[in-house]
Amino acid sequence: MDLAKYRTLFLEEATDHLSEMSRALLLLEKDAEDADAIDLVFRMAHSIKGMAGSLGYDSVTEVSHVLEDRMDECRTAGRVEGASLALLFRGLEGLERMVEIVRKSGTGPPTDPELLAGLRAEAAAPEQVPATRPETPPKKV
Amino acid sequence: MARVLVADDASFMRQMIRDIIDQEGFEVVGEAADGVEVVEKFTELSPDLVMMDIVMPKRSGIDAVKAIMEIAPQACVVMCSALGQETLVMEAIQAGAKDFIVKPFKPESVLTTLRKVLEKES
Repeated sequence: MDLAKYRTLFLEEATDHLSEMSRALLLLEKDAEDADAIDLVFRMAHSIKGMAGSLGYDSVTEVSHVLEDRMDECRTAGRVEGASLALLFRGLEGLERMVEIVRKSGTGPPTDPELLAGLRAEAAAPEQVPATRPETPPKKV
Repeated sequence: MARVLVADDASFMRQMIRDIIDQEGFEVVGEAADGVEVVEKFTELSPDLVMMDIVMPKRSGIDAVKAIMEIAPQACVVMCSALGQETLVMEAIQAGAKDFIVKPFKPESVLTTLRKVLEKES
């Protein structure tokens, strides 16, 4: 496998997907039942998971998998609860950081156990999460 | 040489499939990025085999399989799935898909599946 070629494709496509995901999440802040936006976030998370899995970027795969699962639940429910939105924004920021690491280092980003544990905890107990975007800025890497 | 149509909304995945099967004498005759385009390209190109992603915009891969089966009931469609999509894969098989491969792709597994499906249908 020509890793450099696929890494370039991953960076281009993941960057586009994350921008689309960000726009869709902003739409969902205004209308929690925007079915197109829900579907788009699901597909973007699914696609990033697939690409990252092919390149062995396990940390990206894990985070995108949590987001995909949550969006699948939202598709079934027909809406995104505020708590899910907080989780999704947090996951989006995490993925943006990870893609940036790939861009700068040319290698897979390290696992972020804190982020992953936080996302999984929020997914398991969504009602305990504030229904807004996280106030804290993304962690520096 | 078997003529293959590749449908996936990620150009990354389309390129990966192309690279895997090009080396083995399959000819990628077309690519589609969504579930509507793949049905249009199927009609236009009459490929020997379609590699079909499940999660695609406009129309899911499963709906696209159903549409293709209405056009050509003997069509060879292989689903490209991810772990956790077993229920969707079963739905696609019931709709007429011949087999499936799981992402991340293992080149030998992809090639074995394509050869097996084409041999069965020949």
